[in-house]
Amino acid sequence: MSTLTFHAISDADIAAARKRYPKAFGDPFVATLKAASWAFVIVYLIWSLGFFEIGKLLSASDRAWALMTRMVVWQDMATWQYANIYKGIAQTIAMAFVGTLLGTIFALGLAFLAARNTMPVGLFRHAVRRLLDVFRGIDQIVWGLVFVRAVGLGPLAGVLAIWISDMGNLAKLYSEAIENIDRKQVEGVRATGADTGRIIRYGYLPQILPVFISLSLYSFESSTRSATILGLVGAGGIGMIIIERFRAGLFDQVAFVVLNVLVVIAVIDWGSGLIRKRFIGERGH
Amino acid sequence: MASVTTNGQDRDPVSLFEIHRRQMIRDRMIVNVTLGVVFLGFLLWSLWISRFTPDRLATGLPRIFEYFGSVMPSLQWDVLFDGRNEAGRFPAGSIGYWYNDFWKYLRLIWETILMALTATILAIGLAVALSFIAARNCTPFPWAGVLARRFLEFCRGVPEILFALVLVFAVGIGPLAGVLAITIHATGALGKLFSEVNENASMRPVDGIKAVGGSWFEQMRYGILTQVLPNFTSYALWRFEINVRASAVVGFVGAGGIGAELSHTISFYSDDRVTAVLLLVVLTVTIIDLVSERARHSLIGKESLR
Amino acid sequence: MLEFKGLTKQFNSTVAVKPATFTIPDGQMVGIIGRSGAGKSTLLRMINRLNEPSGGQMLFQGRDITALKGRDLRQWRNECAMVFQQFNLVGRLNVITNVMSGRLFHHGFASSMMGIFTAKERAFAIRALDRLGMAHVALQQTDTLSGGQMQRVAIARALVQEPRIMLADEPIASLDPLNAKVVMDALRAINRQDGLTVICNLHTLDTARQYCDRIIGMQDGVIVFDGTPKELTDRAAREIYGAEAEEAFSEAMTSTALHPQPVAQPEARVVN
Ligand SMILES: Nc1ncnc2c1ncn2[C@@H]1O[C@H](COP(=O)(O)OP(=O)(O)O)[C@@H](O)[C@H]1O
Ligand SMILES: [Mg+2]
Repeated sequence: MSTLTFHAISDADIAAARKRYPKAFGDPFVATLKAASWAFVIVYLIWSLGFFEIGKLLSASDRAWALMTRMVVWQDMATWQYANIYKGIAQTIAMAFVGTLLGTIFALGLAFLAARNTMPVGLFRHAVRRLLDVFRGIDQIVWGLVFVRAVGLGPLAGVLAIWISDMGNLAKLYSEAIENIDRKQVEGVRATGADTGRIIRYGYLPQILPVFISLSLYSFESSTRSATILGLVGAGGIGMIIIERFRAGLFDQVAFVVLNVLVVIAVIDWGSGLIRKRFIGERGH
Repeated sequence: MASVTTNGQDRDPVSLFEIHRRQMIRDRMIVNVTLGVVFLGFLLWSLWISRFTPDRLATGLPRIFEYFGSVMPSLQWDVLFDGRNEAGRFPAGSIGYWYNDFWKYLRLIWETILMALTATILAIGLAVALSFIAARNCTPFPWAGVLARRFLEFCRGVPEILFALVLVFAVGIGPLAGVLAITIHATGALGKLFSEVNENASMRPVDGIKAVGGSWFEQMRYGILTQVLPNFTSYALWRFEINVRASAVVGFVGAGGIGAELSHTISFYSDDRVTAVLLLVVLTVTIIDLVSERARHSLIGKESLR
Repeated sequence: MLEFKGLTKQFNSTVAVKPATFTIPDGQMVGIIGRSGAGKSTLLRMINRLNEPSGGQMLFQGRDITALKGRDLRQWRNECAMVFQQFNLVGRLNVITNVMSGRLFHHGFASSMMGIFTAKERAFAIRALDRLGMAHVALQQTDTLSGGQMQRVAIARALVQEPRIMLADEPIASLDPLNAKVVMDALRAINRQDGLTVICNLHTLDTARQYCDRIIGMQDGVIVFDGTPKELTDRAAREIYGAEAEEAFSEAMTSTALHPQPVAQPEARVVN
């Protein structure tokens, strides 16, 4: 046996190889399973698209086309009330900043109550964690609507919404950071005879502070993104301008505003990246 | 002891160290004070712009507690599990009374999950395809790579609910707009993550497939996809979690799911119906997070995703 | 017959291969030697166009292969198989699928995307693996194999391409002497039994002398030697390797165990 061409492989050769290495010819069970899962996904997709009335897409072409053209063709640009737009964007950033700051402050306290190594009372820890789950489980925009109902239209509702959802997110992430702390460093400080305050100051803080700062900066970035839409439910910021002008059919202005928001968010991401690097070096978190 | 200083000055090491230390502390002070001033200034500006003033807070806070008090269910232990009475109503204070619309909520939550699932599957397909074009080491044409990256950036940059707003206008009220909106946004987010994974893949298998005469598709399918599939799966699961949250709120602008009911209930009632529907949403989201998190961790260990 | 007419390659400012003109008749086993950076890999990768030549021409059996495009180019790549220093297998697939990937060129879009291979292809792949003494690991995931095993799988993949030329870019540089011998023996067997042209980049002088019919020496992108192993005197070799001469020679010393096996019974090779 030496050289053999593909062409010359006979049924007998195949049978012989199959006899020696039956598994090399594919496992019919695995093959069936694979085919079945693909079939399931495809059938599901077809069914669900029917369920969601994908056909509406075809009948929508006129409206969609009109909308697209209106968004691309900008008219009467002199009358667009730019001051209003940029005030809205500034308000969005301000809301995100205040909300994230408040969220950070409160999360600092909650995180130590939710971390296993700093909160030994299991029942209490779990209660705190479930509360955090509620803060996080309800979307920021839902909080926005809730606070609009509670305190009325305007940026205050937005700040409260960012505060509460950032508090939930950050407290969870902070508490994970606290739990992942290197215990040897803490013990080193304790071994010097330090009291609790000093243990926290020299054993915990140097380890968790960079992580906390980095997480809060990320949170600020993501809050600026999400704060842009809080206005859709009346909770202040640029979203209010977007929905007003959209309802008025001023689609070109909406497109302009959205483009501006995208640029501002890109700038904030870039700036926050710089600060992160300055505080914690290249290692990220 | 011989001097180790290079500045030629004739000082002992201790006082030199002191000089350096003071210089360093002074430098750091300047930086910290500047940062502090900038931070404070930004904070004051933000408080003013967002009108987050003490008097507003003072009038707002009591109203918040009042509101949350009014939406809490008033459950009573003696009738908690009672069924419908002769008039076909649940007695006040029972769970049945609190969750009078339970089946309606459940149907909407089911729709919400289906929306997220369909959108995730569609987005995975689109993102996989685009990620190979967008990844710098895979792209068949550099100009297509640039285009794909810009397109993904746009899709990722615009929030789902804004796409939903526009799509509701284009295709009408209903879940279709929501599915499409989430698909577009998730394609952007996943496409970027996928293309980054592709860029970190080893090119050796690709060279191998290229050398046997494989087409670009075959190079990607065998050379890259096999390497990145575990990461793709993990990211896709993670995205599904996010999409469930998104599909629960796109209804705010009429794009299907539980969102419309949610916004209607919150906007027009301030009683226990609000907590009833909110609690269901939180439960759904939490359960899906838990299940998906388990699946992800079993996939590639406890690797962090960000 | 593979003809090179002034073939050259330039990367930005560095000229990796200066205009090279030579001819390789069918069935020859050619070793290309030279120190690292001499342009060996670039020359080899230009043959199957993994690197695009910047100038000149290559002809195979009179057909211009410098200008091939699209499917014709892929067909040419399929006709001249390549074995790499780092094996370049798909680590996450099993061994037999890797070997069968050598036949992807003959597949349609759907079957290759779905990864469907015929029983005939499977049987052929097993034959190829068997020839290299690797059939017993056919179902193992490829990245669990040792380097020597992977290189043999890579050769099996090259074989199922049914190539007319076999290119090997430092196929033994990452292997221990024992595996290096197995791999070189396999390449030589392919050359002798199947009559394939084998063009092999080698870092060590001794191996080239032992296994090749003809040796081409490169230095800074220029072919400075072209002749039989006998014609390659120590002095000529020192010239090719320049400053790296001692290393090349000492490597030759350590791998003196590398004596080619008589080709008559390749099956007699001990596996594992
Ligand atoms: N992709 C590339 N880009 C730029 N320069 C390259 C590239 N590949 C090789 N070179 C250069 O070409 C020359 C020859 O390289 P190579 O063919 O790899 O040498 P060898 O295989 O003999 O070690 C070297 O100077 C190398 O730096
Ligand atoms: Mg090389």
